[in-house]
Amino acid sequence: MLADDAACNERNSFAGSVYANPGRHLDLYGENIEVDYRGYEVTVENFLRLLTGRLPPSFPRSKRLLTDSSSNIFIYLTGHGGNEFLKFQDNEEVSAHDIADAFHQMYEGGRYNEIFFMVDTCQANSMYSKFYSPGILATGSSVVGENSYSHENDYDIGVAVIDSYTHYVLEYMEKVNKTSRLTMADLFTSYDVPKIGSHPGVRSDLFDRPLGPEHPMNEYGRGRGWTVEGGGEWVGREMEAEKRGRGLREALITDFFGGVVEVDVDGEGTDSPSY
Amino acid sequence: MLRTGLFLIFLLLSSVFCLEDSTEEFEEHLSIKSLKDGRVAFSFTFKTLLRDAIPRDPRTLAFDNDDSQHYTLFPLTLGQILRQYAITELHLTLNAGKWNYDAWGYPDEPDVGVGAELRAWMAGDSISSIDDRWQGVRNALAGLFCASLGSLDEQRTTSPRSTFPPEGALPDWGLPHELRHASHASEHVCTENLTPFLKLLPCKSRSGLAMLLNPHRIFDADWHGIGLHVIWRPEGVEVRLSVQLVSDPLRVSGQKKQDWSFSSLFDRKVEKACPIAKSSRVSVELPSSGVYRVYPEPPQVKDGIAHYDLKNANEVWDIGTMWPTDFEYPLSKPNPALVPFSVRRNLLGSTQDRGQLSIVLTNNEQDVLQLLYLETMPWIIQFYLHTIRVHADDALRDDLISNISYILPIPHARPATFETVLTLPGQSTITFTMDVAKAFLRYTEHPPDAQRGWDLPPAIFTPLRQSSHNSTNLGKRVYSPSLLVDLATPDFSMPYNVIIFTCSVVAFIFGSVFNVLTRKFIVVRLEPQKRSESSPSKNLDSDESGKPDTSKSNVH
Repeated sequence: MLADDAACNERNSFAGSVYANPGRHLDLYGENIEVDYRGYEVTVENFLRLLTGRLPPSFPRSKRLLTDSSSNIFIYLTGHGGNEFLKFQDNEEVSAHDIADAFHQMYEGGRYNEIFFMVDTCQANSMYSKFYSPGILATGSSVVGENSYSHENDYDIGVAVIDSYTHYVLEYMEKVNKTSRLTMADLFTSYDVPKIGSHPGVRSDLFDRPLGPEHPMNEYGRGRGWTVEGGGEWVGREMEAEKRGRGLREALITDFFGGVVEVDVDGEGTDSPSY
Repeated sequence: MLRTGLFLIFLLLSSVFCLEDSTEEFEEHLSIKSLKDGRVAFSFTFKTLLRDAIPRDPRTLAFDNDDSQHYTLFPLTLGQILRQYAITELHLTLNAGKWNYDAWGYPDEPDVGVGAELRAWMAGDSISSIDDRWQGVRNALAGLFCASLGSLDEQRTTSPRSTFPPEGALPDWGLPHELRHASHASEHVCTENLTPFLKLLPCKSRSGLAMLLNPHRIFDADWHGIGLHVIWRPEGVEVRLSVQLVSDPLRVSGQKKQDWSFSSLFDRKVEKACPIAKSSRVSVELPSSGVYRVYPEPPQVKDGIAHYDLKNANEVWDIGTMWPTDFEYPLSKPNPALVPFSVRRNLLGSTQDRGQLSIVLTNNEQDVLQLLYLETMPWIIQFYLHTIRVHADDALRDDLISNISYILPIPHARPATFETVLTLPGQSTITFTMDVAKAFLRYTEHPPDAQRGWDLPPAIFTPLRQSSHNSTNLGKRVYSPSLLVDLATPDFSMPYNVIIFTCSVVAFIFGSVFNVLTRKFIVVRLEPQKRSESSPSKNLDSDESGKPDTSKSNVH
């Protein structure tokens, strides 16, 4: 869902491109992109209808989510927002309660296996504070009462091309490929508060698998710059050891971004395909 | 052993011969023209012909047992859409920019209206079935092309009678064919529209002329557009995909020469021929004046057009033109004029409740010219037909307008369809003016950026030619630019203000009335020895002076 046509806007000197950094090294738009909802179609109603599947029969397949109970979904929201809301089209807002209810409808309808929810707005951590359905792992860019900032300006295009949190997450994810065994814990512990400029948070109490091996996540929130009390906002910290004790498979990054199928060579474990 | 060997060889040979069976053909063609103002117009045409195919009879839609579709070159997704909604002829274009007819002449594909334009010829015995299929094909194409075509609903759909004759043939099923036409002038075209477009080609963008379609350069062009045309010809169903663009080599290269080549304008070359293309040609129209060199050397030059055949030779093609001298921008309009008439359309007026639609038409030729003028105006602009005035050189001329056909707009439901024939005397300018009223929209009908205004679809002018059989032929269509109309917008913060204000007033009134009804005022004398006799109720209001009331009051 892209509300604004940034790539082919008449004011964009680099037509058909959305760059990830001021040096214009990485073009995120590419040459093979497909955008299902664009322009005025990006509304709160369409977003919630897309999630819950309550679309009129005239909507084509490419505009439907078409997930089932074994689908892992990655949802990324960015824009202007605040305490428990996100703005759409500078005109209306979606609240954290709405999204939480939509996720619960999805859970009741068996429309997802696991959801990874990432949000990059001001006071983003409040957006996932109202979830109550199982199987959701959430992360946000800033705590309540704190702004999220954009990355450097590109003086040829005239605007800041990317937000700070998204930039550093993208930089990390560019090193991840389909065969990597990096876990979510590795992603979360790569958060660097002085570089990002705000305090990201994690919510894993609704997620029933451990985020990663013990050592990385123990260090979460203890680095330089983490001044939030308790060492980084992480809801579900206490449950992590208990989840590991149950011997569940760790959450790999490729679970949500496409990866290698677990191949059961020796006939031991009963690992299910990870995509 | 020998018999199985012979049998296998026979199978192999028969399969090879089957591949040669030409039920489907694919041809591609690129036509290049250097324009007088230094720009270069490119027109890519990719044609897939499905031989001996007929569009689906809509009476078979009820049975749901359509033949299964097996294609090798014809795009299956498009074929499924066409058959599911029994479409005979379809034209979809997504364009951006203003086609400057005066400087660039006629385009190769005539549909250059800005934004999205969709029109379809469908047969049917009831209007409702045609409208349902129109809605279905709009949404299906919206999903296929990643465009907001679903918003081309009945508020933008018209059926103009004369301006859009079918380009191909209409099958004779005994059912009437109807045209549905809709346009959305504010639709954008970007890489996400080109991606599914390229997927409809047999060779995608890996080989053949489609290798040149670099979205970073196409969408940087001064004018660009992609189009899909499905036509039924006697030979079969033809799908024609077109990409047109007008690039400016002077801006792209930053130099003063109008040299261009594939690598300088597209950043790509044709490196491989599409193996299943029946023909793959490039035609470069040689400029009529000036000293230049076209490279590589064209193998065939006919009628001032250099032809290259990209299919047989297996080399890397980087066709271009070089000029020895710097480019000099022409200071006067082309003479003779590139199109027989010029059009300017404006919306005059400074208020937000009414205005005046003004069309200025200039006939560049000596002969009298008759134009068919079509206006498919959304209902937000309402015409006052009795105020139509046609002036030729400041003199009021009622004889220059005739054959007005007008379908009234229905507010919130249907646009206006206005077709008329305007006569232009030779070498003259006529002015058509009509007063219009601007609507005041409902609060929920405004788009999120309401203060920008609404884009009005282009007007279409078609020259009428009297042919020898005393029937009129339509010439090439000309699209006027779109207009932006500024409608009155309400104060969008008012609902919030009303809610807040009303709730505050209700809260004050309720609170005061509740207190008056339920609060009991008692006079209590507080003296030191009689303090134990004071009222046990917590709602003490002390009325004496000096002694503070130590009990917490729980009245607001």
